[in-house]
Amino acid sequence: MRIDREAQWHILLGGALLLSLLPIAFAIANSFKELSEAYNNVFSLIPEHPTIGNYLLVFSRLPLGQITANTFMVALAATVFKTVTSALAAYAFVYFDFRGKNVLYFILISTIFIPFTVTMIPNYLTISQLGFRNNIIGVILPQLSDATGIFLIRQAMRTIPRSLIEAARIEQAGHLKILASIVLPLIRPAVVSTGIMFFINSWNEYVWPVLILKDKVNYTLPLALQLFISSEGGTDFTIAMAVSVITMIIPLVLYLIFQRYIISTFTSSGVKG
Amino acid sequence: MSGNALLAYGFILPSLLVFAVFMFYPLLYTVYLSFFEWNMIKPVKAFVGWGNYIALLQDPLTYVVLKNTFAYIVILLLLNCAAPYILAFILSFVIRRGRDFYKSAFFLPSVISLVVGSILYLWILNPISGPVAIIAKFFGITIPVWSKTQGLVIGVLSIITTWKVFGYNFIVLFGGITGVPQEVIEAAKIDNVPLHRIFLDIVLPMSSATGVYIFIMTIVQGLQYVFTPIKVVTQGGPDNASSNAIYNVYQEGFTLYHTGYASAFAIVTMVLFVVLLLAEFKYVEKGIYYEN
Amino acid sequence: MKNVFLKLVSVGVLSTLLLAGCGQQSSPANPAGGQKTKIEYWHVNAETLGGKTIEELVKQFNAQNSDVEVVARYNPDMYKGLMQNLQAEVATGKSPAVVQIGWAFLDYFSNNFTYVEPQKLVDSFDQGDKTFLQDKFLPNVLGLAKNSKGSQVGIPYSLSTPVLYINRDLLRQAGLAENGPKTWEELVVFANTVKEKTGKYGLYIQEPADYWAQQALLESNGARMMTNGKASFASEEGIKAFEAYADMVLKTKSALHISWGEGVQSFVDGNVAMLYTTIAQRANVQKGAKFDVAAISSPAWQGKQPRLPAGGCFLAVTAKSEAEQKAAWKFVKFLYSIESMAAWTKGTGYVPPRKDVADAENGLKSFLAENKMMAAATSQMAGVVPWTSFPGDAGLQAEQMLLDSRDRILSGGISAREGLVQTQTKINELLK
Repeated sequence: MRIDREAQWHILLGGALLLSLLPIAFAIANSFKELSEAYNNVFSLIPEHPTIGNYLLVFSRLPLGQITANTFMVALAATVFKTVTSALAAYAFVYFDFRGKNVLYFILISTIFIPFTVTMIPNYLTISQLGFRNNIIGVILPQLSDATGIFLIRQAMRTIPRSLIEAARIEQAGHLKILASIVLPLIRPAVVSTGIMFFINSWNEYVWPVLILKDKVNYTLPLALQLFISSEGGTDFTIAMAVSVITMIIPLVLYLIFQRYIISTFTSSGVKG
Repeated sequence: MSGNALLAYGFILPSLLVFAVFMFYPLLYTVYLSFFEWNMIKPVKAFVGWGNYIALLQDPLTYVVLKNTFAYIVILLLLNCAAPYILAFILSFVIRRGRDFYKSAFFLPSVISLVVGSILYLWILNPISGPVAIIAKFFGITIPVWSKTQGLVIGVLSIITTWKVFGYNFIVLFGGITGVPQEVIEAAKIDNVPLHRIFLDIVLPMSSATGVYIFIMTIVQGLQYVFTPIKVVTQGGPDNASSNAIYNVYQEGFTLYHTGYASAFAIVTMVLFVVLLLAEFKYVEKGIYYEN
Repeated sequence: MKNVFLKLVSVGVLSTLLLAGCGQQSSPANPAGGQKTKIEYWHVNAETLGGKTIEELVKQFNAQNSDVEVVARYNPDMYKGLMQNLQAEVATGKSPAVVQIGWAFLDYFSNNFTYVEPQKLVDSFDQGDKTFLQDKFLPNVLGLAKNSKGSQVGIPYSLSTPVLYINRDLLRQAGLAENGPKTWEELVVFANTVKEKTGKYGLYIQEPADYWAQQALLESNGARMMTNGKASFASEEGIKAFEAYADMVLKTKSALHISWGEGVQSFVDGNVAMLYTTIAQRANVQKGAKFDVAAISSPAWQGKQPRLPAGGCFLAVTAKSEAEQKAAWKFVKFLYSIESMAAWTKGTGYVPPRKDVADAENGLKSFLAENKMMAAATSQMAGVVPWTSFPGDAGLQAEQMLLDSRDRILSGGISAREGLVQTQTKINELLK
């Protein structure tokens, strides 16, 4: 009886899983097909006449090493900066009392609700005046004003008993030291999972870099994909799939290597009240 | 504990600086622009007062877009908040085998770009010749031309978005549910409480902090995520049936160059969101279960 | 745990350094010496649509000229995307030197941006070749880049026209003439027959975010999108043409109402017998189709002449300083040489806008002999007319209204007659 029921659940879950994983298999399979096979046998997961021609073409047309490095630097810089500033701000909001604290927190958190289209035009003008157009710094800067990190890390910090902090204060420990050696280790899952989320989002950022970056050597990976999609000339589907695979391969491989750690981090962080 | 206020500001300062330049200043500038008629390049901005706001209220398209936005919110809440919640519950307390495998596998698509997902799904769901259509044909079913069908198009674009968002929401909710003590659930099971009652009466209230976070994120980020498939697949069509508040701002501002009008629309959207947040805050402070 | 985290960070840092190292080698060395004028050329040509050719042409030009350096910049999302970027660029007080402007933006561009008319460039920088424009271009082609005030905004560059791609295998299977229909009336019969005999779809007319193909359909029946600055497409001829189209979609269900990408895919994999779309899709169709595929010229309605809007773009010079304008003209003239034009057609499938390219040995003679599908487009140049761009700042919104009405009619929400009449009234109110 119990086994039957469990089996039913597994069928249901397996089906849902198939739906979410098939597109990835589909992308990989079609990136190794010739265009005519992709059109006529889009369904098959194993190419009849496998070819790496699509990849060779992409590699010959784009400085992919540079583009991947750019993407990495953008994602890494944004992640590190955002995680650090969020942790600092969250600490102040939890362990300090000062005038306007609640108002300031509310204002910062409300920005989560501001659609990116609101800030797009002025930010473009600002980045231009700073001279960071066609530069990955121009891609990084506006991303940094993101309050989700402050929110998530603050929520995690609130679960730490205040007595611990008070004890440390009595022993004359400085706030930075308390943050680094007591608070952060205690809430590491929350901090790391926030960082992972930042990294993934930044890696896949698309609308903004399209506006900022001009030269191929400055591109990030989602832009490289744009180069092979054209409405007027038709998208060369198999090439687009090859670029898609290149775009997702690094996050995918990193995820597969560290999945146990990533999943356990996420599941032990949660969002605490 | 009364900390040093200056020091507190010092801790917040790095964040505050970035926010001032790339969030608050642009926000004010957008408010300013919303009172002008301008196309970003004309040397003179024409002051129109509340004109853009009045035009916006009188435009039937505004209400179509708001209705669509609402439809997106409802569907996204079902697919990206309710569904992963239930899945997390099943994985935590119902099934016994394969938990780790499912957790890892369901999270996987969320590391991939939504642009990639949109292109993929456009092919997979092609109603004439995509794989799904071929399978459906085998069973004698014809897939409607969803990209040109009112209503349906919102559903399909939401599904594409779900492919990307589901994993993250699921894993965070799973983390939240883990906080519910296993013994409580086991006790309820022994008492033969049906699963849906366990979920609704025990798990949901005890993980509500996480639940509310995902609820808000589903609405706010979900609507922004949907932007990508709208742009890649339908450009807001057919006849604005798939446009939402965020895409409409982009369409007005960057396709039709109604910069002032787009700014006004953006501000209205934001105000609606913030009202939502206020309502949420009230609820959060009252009804949430805190672990401490 | 700590270990894993360290590993994660070090892998990230290491691979960043590694990749950065690799990339450094591929970035071009800065050419030293001399007073070089550096100018930007903005285009929309993705890798799958001539991006490679642009790169080769620019490289060639830079190698030949020591005093000018051209940097090509790709703009995603076609002419609309380029316009967005240009808008943003100009808002910051800068400007590229040469830009591709889509026909639909002719009026909007000339109203809102500063440009230099090509004849003025010739007069200032090319005294020896004063009649370049008149000598090398057909008047109707040159006229495509004239705005509603009569100013020559630029020179036509990428030219495309709609053609009818046919799946001959499917037509034969349905017992139809394998060379396809000659008129729109025949085309309707063809489409319906394919549906009846084979169960597959007869026709797909492209439906991107523009009204280009629909303009061809209406105007080839004698309607005019615009007369004296006012919308006039809802004439009896226009309504009749659109009704025939809507009937195929809604009544006989022989034509598809679907997004562009999906429609092309469905033709190429053999589910639709005829595809009415731009000649620029030729390479994609040819590479993907596994059946006997051909392209034929756009049909006209019985007893009428086809009127085909030009697709593609013209080149406008937006350079500001005199030195930049001079450099820009040098580059533009290079792009219009017979060799460059031929390379452009081979790389993109666009029809050459200037004379003497098609027959020249150093032009396209052998290429056209080998690529029969191109002939469908090169042979219909006489019927080319400007792609209507409604005047003034409201022009872009007028185009959007046309798109909305197309969706409404083809989904059966409103009759073709009512839809067109309503939209015409609305557009004319907007244009007031």
